[in-house]
Parts: sequence; structure tokens; C-alpha cells
Amino acid sequence: MLFWLAPPILWFTVFMLVPYAMLFYYSLGSVNYVTFEPGFSAANFIKVFTTQPYLGVMLKSAKLGLMTAIFTSILAYPVAFCLAFYAPAGRAKNFLYMLVIVPWWASYLVKAYAWKTILGSHGLINQLLLNTGIISHPLTFLLYNEFSVALTLTYIFTPFAILSIYSQLERIPVSLIEGARDLGATGWQIFYKIVFPISVPGILAGAVITFSLAFGDFISPALVGGPNSIMISNIVINLLGRAFDWPLAAAIGLVIIGMATALITVANHIERRLTVRL
Amino acid sequence: MHEFGNRKLLWSLAGAVMSFLYAPIVVMMIFSFNGTNYTTLPWGGFSFMWYEKLMTDQAMLSSVGNSVYVAVGVVLLGTLFGVPAAMALDRYRFPGKEVFRRIVLLPIVLPGVITGVALLSFYVLIGFHLSLYTIMLGQGTGLMCITITEVFARLQQTGKSQEEAAFDLGATQFEVFTKVTLPSIKTAVYGAVLITFSISFDEIAVTYLLTGRQNTLPMQLWSMLRREATPEINAIATLVVLASIVLITIGIRLSRGTSSHPPIREESV
Repeated sequence: MLFWLAPPILWFTVFMLVPYAMLFYYSLGSVNYVTFEPGFSAANFIKVFTTQPYLGVMLKSAKLGLMTAIFTSILAYPVAFCLAFYAPAGRAKNFLYMLVIVPWWASYLVKAYAWKTILGSHGLINQLLLNTGIISHPLTFLLYNEFSVALTLTYIFTPFAILSIYSQLERIPVSLIEGARDLGATGWQIFYKIVFPISVPGILAGAVITFSLAFGDFISPALVGGPNSIMISNIVINLLGRAFDWPLAAAIGLVIIGMATALITVANHIERRLTVRL
Repeated sequence: MHEFGNRKLLWSLAGAVMSFLYAPIVVMMIFSFNGTNYTTLPWGGFSFMWYEKLMTDQAMLSSVGNSVYVAVGVVLLGTLFGVPAAMALDRYRFPGKEVFRRIVLLPIVLPGVITGVALLSFYVLIGFHLSLYTIMLGQGTGLMCITITEVFARLQQTGKSQEEAAFDLGATQFEVFTKVTLPSIKTAVYGAVLITFSISFDEIAVTYLLTGRQNTLPMQLWSMLRREATPEINAIATLVVLASIVLITIGIRLSRGTSSHPPIREESV
């Protein structure tokens, strides 16, 4: 047992627990001009929760994360459903499966950038509308705001949600659905009494991942966001770089680590309760 | 199987979502052949000029090499430490197991920037200079959970009965692992290798804070996007998509086709 357990425990201690302890050490200190001064004060944590913009940006990032989780789940469901039930097994299914994975593998930065070239004032949508005479001035509400950030995040993380929901739908045996049909269930009843409940843990697992990835994102706000759409990761990077406020960045980091731990615990608990054994 | 659900409606919804997923990628690919300096209209005629430029762009080419180097390292670390972690989580009871599980899964939901900040403060402490290796260790920590969850799921699926039978027949620990356990988790490991490689190749949040002098491809693209973006970016992205199609095809073959015996499910209530 020790043979299996020792290497990973050693790894996670050195590369996670020790760094987190370092964050804690930093978070209790302060910065004097550019030198770090060790201390023992909760001032940085109080600042995170009481001084703007920190708490506000964290809430806004959570809001965007939640929107992303909801939109990706809605977009993903029909694709996962067709993949699980309608795609003929074999080559066609593998092909569709590959079609879902390929957009996920394409460079993240380039995908975000592609949206910029589509939505921008000289972008494709505006050029098309201008050339056809539908509008006379380029639309500016398409880019550099919360809408474009939410759209880009949803776009980038939808494949995750598809794969997550599919992994649950795939488990449903044909016999289960045929049995329900033979016993007189309508298509709709089969869906909301059998298929949907089984897929809930998949939706949830996908939503937890898309929420977290969107919450911590800093690329989309920087590339397609406006001045008001910075998110918490952008703030942390600014604190490290320009402001050189390590202690505050460390405090924000620890608060997020705490929230992430709570999120896994709750999600794990709900998932265990909702998973249908087949 | 009997029909259920509105097949036409659902296929058209799925089709709409798939076109949403592919529209930007197709746009990006088309403009990689644009004969002007712009990644949008006006169309300057069909041209391979950006691919030619790419082939002589030393910074870009070496960043691709760096990304592959880092990704291979991350995959090795993930397999070397992730498989044992999955074995320990599935096969044994030990004090603090729940805590261990939480810690292992934490990087999945933790923003990469936070993992990066934590590791950076650790590197400062022990006086590590930032290099490709610091990126490798950072991504390795962040992405190890992929191998652990994939292999753990497979171990749960196959159950212990075959291993126990092998023990009863007098096999040693080593023989059981190499002849019974390893073949049954092999395809899960391949899958994890593929996913880890692709995420590492494209990773930017952890990398952003841990990069030294040598850039990975995403960092190189990032600095280009901040200065002037030319269709050269579209050209490299198109090549990455084409390469990934090849890798995914191989991956799907490996993780589905070669399984010598089908996974045996434990009967559950």
C-alpha cells in the first residue's frame, strides 16, 4: 500500500500543501514599498471582503461562471443526447464524438481571438450587415462587454459539458428504454422519469467544471472584455505584477482555495446522492 | 431500439450547436489564407504567405518545440504519480483518505492562476529559477487529477475479483500488477495521456505565472495577440487543429479498439 501511496502523497505535499502554506505565510504579512514584511495580521483577509473591488469582482466572476455553466449545459444536452441515442453505433458515432472533441483541442487563445474577429466593429458580422445595407453604422454592443465574455466562455467550455453529460447518457442500456416503452410509457415519460434523472450527475459534474474554469478565466476578459469586465484572476495577476502586493494576492488565493474546497465537497455529496446505479 | 423523442428536432438543435462550435474555427482557418495583414475582411486573395512566414518564424517554431517538451514531461509525471494515486484510492483504506481525495481533486476546480501563484511563492522560497521545468512541475500538479480520475474510474469498473483470483493462483504482487491490473487499465491510461497532453499543450493560466525565458506556444501567441495579430496566428492554429485531428483519431482507436478483453462490471444493486 505504501508503495502506491508514498509517491503521490510526497508529490502533493511538496507541490500543493507547502505552496499553500507559503501563501498563508504571505497573506499574514504586508508589503512596504516593494519588500515583503512578515507579520501576523488578518488585514489582507479583511481587505478582500470589505474593500472594493475584490469582493465585487469575485461575485461578478461567480455570476459569469454560473451563466457559463447554465448556457453550456443547455447547449450541450441535445448534442450529448443525439450522440448517445441517435448516432448509429460504430463509425458514425466515433466520427460525431471526434467532431465534439476537435473544437476543444483547437487553441484556446485563437478561439477567443476568432470571436473578436467575428464580433468586432470591423468584424465579420458588422461587415456583412454594412455591406447588405441592413445597418449604416457598425454595431458596437457585440464586443468588449460582458456579453462577449459570456459568449466566448460558453463557446470554449461547451465541449466539456457535452462529454460530461454524454458519459452518463451512454450508460443507459437500450433494454431499460425498451422495457419502459413495452410497459406503456410515452417518449416524454421515458425522458423525464428515466433518461433525465440518470443524466443529472453528468450535468452537475459538467457544470462544476465549466463554472470553475469560467470563474478563474483571465483570457476572455483580457481579449474580448471591456474595461468593466475584469475578473478575479486578472486582479490577482495585476496584484502580483504591477501593484506588487503579494500578501493581498495570497489572501485572495486562499479565499478561493477555501471556496473551491467547499464546492468539491458539496458537489461530491450531491453527485453521490443523485447517481443512479445501473 | 424503438424511436423515442423528436429525432428531427433534436438533430437540428444538435446541428445548430455544432455549427456554433465550428463557425469560429472555420473563420479562423479561412483567414489563414488571407493575402493581407488582417484576420478579417476585406479578403485579400488566396495565399500561402502566412504559412511560409510561419516556417521561417524561429520564435514560433521553438515555442511549439517547447510546448511539446513540456507536455511530454507533464504526461510522464501524470502517469508516474497519477496511476499509483488511483491504485491507492481504489484498492486500499487508509487514514485521511477523504482528505487525500479532496486535495487530489482540488486543482480541477481551482483557477490555474491560483495554482500558479502558490507554486511561484514556493519557487521563490527554495530559489528555483523559472524555466520550462517550473512550468512542467506546475502543470503536472494541476493536471495529475485527470490521470487519477480516469484510472480510478476504470479500476472501480473492473473490480478486484480478477486480481484476487490471480493471487489465489500464486501470482506475486508484481505479476498481478503487470499481468492483470495493467492490461485492464491500459486504455484508461491512454485516454488520460491524450487528454493531459492536449490540455498541457494549450495551458496558459498556470504557465503564465511560471514562464521563464523560453515561451510555450500559448505564451507566444498571447504576446503576438497583444502586439499585432496577423493571419500567421490563424495559420499556426489551423496546423494545430489538423495535428489534433490526427492525434484524436489515433487516441479513439487506442482507447476503444485494442482492448483485449472487455471491462468486467461488478454486479451492483
